[in-house]
This record gives sequence, structure tokens and C-alpha cells, in this order.
Amino acid sequence: MGDLTLIDASAYALQVLLIILAIAIVMHKNNGTIIILIASFSLVTASLYVLNSAPDVAIAEIAINSAIIPLIYVISISRQREYIILDKVNDDFIISDNSFTGIGYVILKRFADFYHLELNITNDPGLCALGEGEDQVLCEATNVDLIITKDTETNQYVFKGKNSSILIHKLEQLTKDHDNIRVVKFKDRDVGE
Amino acid sequence: MSVSKNIILFALLSVLLIVFMLAMQDLDVLYNSYGRDYYLLYGLEETGSRNLVSAIYLDYRLFDSLFEAGILLIAVSGIIWISKHDIEEKNAKFMIDKYKTPDLFVTFSRLVYPLMLTFGFYVIINGHLSPGGGFQGGAIVATAILILYYIDSERETNIGLIVTIEKYIFMTIIVLASISLFTRGTFFTNFMPLDASLQMKSIYLVLLNLLIGFKVALGLWTIFTAFLKEGR
Repeated sequence: MGDLTLIDASAYALQVLLIILAIAIVMHKNNGTIIILIASFSLVTASLYVLNSAPDVAIAEIAINSAIIPLIYVISISRQREYIILDKVNDDFIISDNSFTGIGYVILKRFADFYHLELNITNDPGLCALGEGEDQVLCEATNVDLIITKDTETNQYVFKGKNSSILIHKLEQLTKDHDNIRVVKFKDRDVGE
Repeated sequence: MSVSKNIILFALLSVLLIVFMLAMQDLDVLYNSYGRDYYLLYGLEETGSRNLVSAIYLDYRLFDSLFEAGILLIAVSGIIWISKHDIEEKNAKFMIDKYKTPDLFVTFSRLVYPLMLTFGFYVIINGHLSPGGGFQGGAIVATAILILYYIDSERETNIGLIVTIEKYIFMTIIVLASISLFTRGTFFTNFMPLDASLQMKSIYLVLLNLLIGFKVALGLWTIFTAFLKEGR
């Protein structure tokens, strides 16, 4: 320990910091904080590379792991927060008077606020043009979470979603009291089935 | 059943450990300084690169670098393949929603974007003089392009075109690396003669670094555009 230089001491300190950061990344629950921790982890790693005279590797580490990867994570997580709804109903269930004030929207908004999701309601003409039978394929092939259609015989609105999604079960409980809403859950299929 | 499996696994691991320790006997032969000394003595003179890392990956071990560039190309192809939508669909509009990105972030990105781009090209072009090089600079340029998507959320990207350009750049790299067959008689080295001046030799280094930098930037651009399009 006698001839411990300043560089050696800072290298040891950085290595301890690295272990602390790694444990923090695993233990933390908030996704946003984890992204910041991952970026700082690679910043510390890059400093260690510089201390070990590898500036080339340090630049690559900074560029990839503390810039591109966190930005990609930010995008992925912002996708995850969305609840994408395909509105195939053309009456005032969701949109009345050209604004989101329909009874269906109020129910879904309450549901989304409770689970901290952001509603993304689309009535994309290309997707709406597909027939009723395509709904299951649409749920599997795209990232549409919920499809709303209208059953003309029973005059009910039908919510369609994947059975594997926990949210569709919660939505079913929430809409239990509404007689004009029915929830349909698609069973998961294996690829090619 | 599981106990016997564990015993077999343990025995296999022990055998591996013993073989590994036996193989590591001649550490003096494995860890010598011949290569390092050679690069330090002749590296600058033979390749014209002051950055010995660049000297190795652009001259002595260019064959390895070609396959590293190929790995990125294969990774890009794999990501496009896995993300399941066809190219036309991927050319659809970009979708970071405008109202979701904070104004502070957008303004700061506008400020930082030209600096990042300049620094990226600096790292690429000075790859043979200072730390850095094609890969590092390409990654910085790709980050700058990614920032551009946050500034202008309505941006559209033609992934098919980017991938095509990347493939052609990869072919150009191979051709440029093979020119030395006609000037020096060997594949995959500097095409300038061995007794050319350092400036002449650095032409080749800058050219190759630029091509690798463009290739890496385009490859990373494709990867994160595939991620971005995946949402919708």
C-alpha cells in the first residue's frame, strides 16, 4: 500500500463505484432511473479504460453505451407506456361532436389513468378496412392492444384483445357493469398454427 | 436424475478446468512483448499511422477488420428480418410524438447536433493521428442522426436506400483494401508503396477510416430506425 499513486487510488475508487452502480441497476424499479444508471455505468467504465491507456476503446464505449443505447431504451419504454386502440366504430361511442367525449372514451380514459398508461386511439383507414375475421391476426401481427367493434345484432360494443395481456382482464372487470360492452379475448396461438 | 446430472456437469467442469490449467503452463511464451515491440518500432514507419491501434486494424490486421465490418452488416440484416415488417412499411412516418418530447430537450438537441456531427467527422478523419477512428466516429455521427429524430418528429427515412448504400460502401472497402495486390503484391494492406512518405500513406488511412465511419453510421442508423418503426 506504500506506493499507491493517485491514478491507482482513483482506479480502485472507480471499480468500487462500478460495483455499486451494477447493484443499483439490478435493484432499482424505476425504468427512467435505470437508463441514467446504465449511462453512468458506461461513463465510469470509459474512465477506467482511459486510466488503463485505452482511449480508443473509451471513445467507442462512450458513443455506444452512454449515448445510443440509452436513447434506444428511452424510445422502447415510451412505446411500452402506450395503450394503442383501433377504433372501428363509426358512431359517437368514442368521438362525439368531433372530440373525445363519448362514453367509451370516458371509460377507457379512467382505465388508462388508473394504470398510468397513455391512450393512443387511432382509426387508421387501412387497418379499419380489414374484415372482422382479421381482428385476431391484427392483434398478433401489429402492436394494437385493443380493437373496438360494434355487434349489430345485440347492439353491443365489443372490446377485442389478446388473452395473454393482463390489462384486458382488468378492462373486463371494469366494464362488468356496462351492459352494452362485451370483452372478447383471443387465445394465444403458436406461430404457424 | 438431477443429482447424477449435476455430478456429470461437475466432472465435466473439473476436466475443463484441469485442461485449461495445463494449457496455461507456458505463460512466458504466451505473454511476450515481441508483437508490441515490433509495432512500437516499425508501426509508424510502415503504416504511416501515429495511432498504433489504427495501424493494426487498418493495415496489419485489415483482414480481421473486414469481417468486423461484415458482422455489423449481418446484424443490421438480422434486425430488419426479425422486426418482421417489410421495407415499404418501415418507410412509414416516424413516430416520436411531438408533444411528448420536452421542449428543453429539443432546444438543447438543436444546439448540440452540429457540434456532435463535427466531432464525429473529426474523430473519423483524425483516426490515424489521435485516439478514435472509423468505428468510434461513425457511432458519434449515428448518435447525432438519432438526435435529429427528436428535433423533427415528422421525419421520414428510407431504410431500403440506407441499407443499399451501406452494402455498396462495404464492397468499396473490400475493393480499396484489395488494390494493394497490384501495387505491393499482397492483399489487404496500404496500396501506397512501402517507401512512400507518411503523408502519402495517410491518404489510404483517411479514405478507409471515412468509408468505415460512413458504414458504421449507416448501420447504426438502420438499427435504431428499425427500433423506432417497430412501435407502429
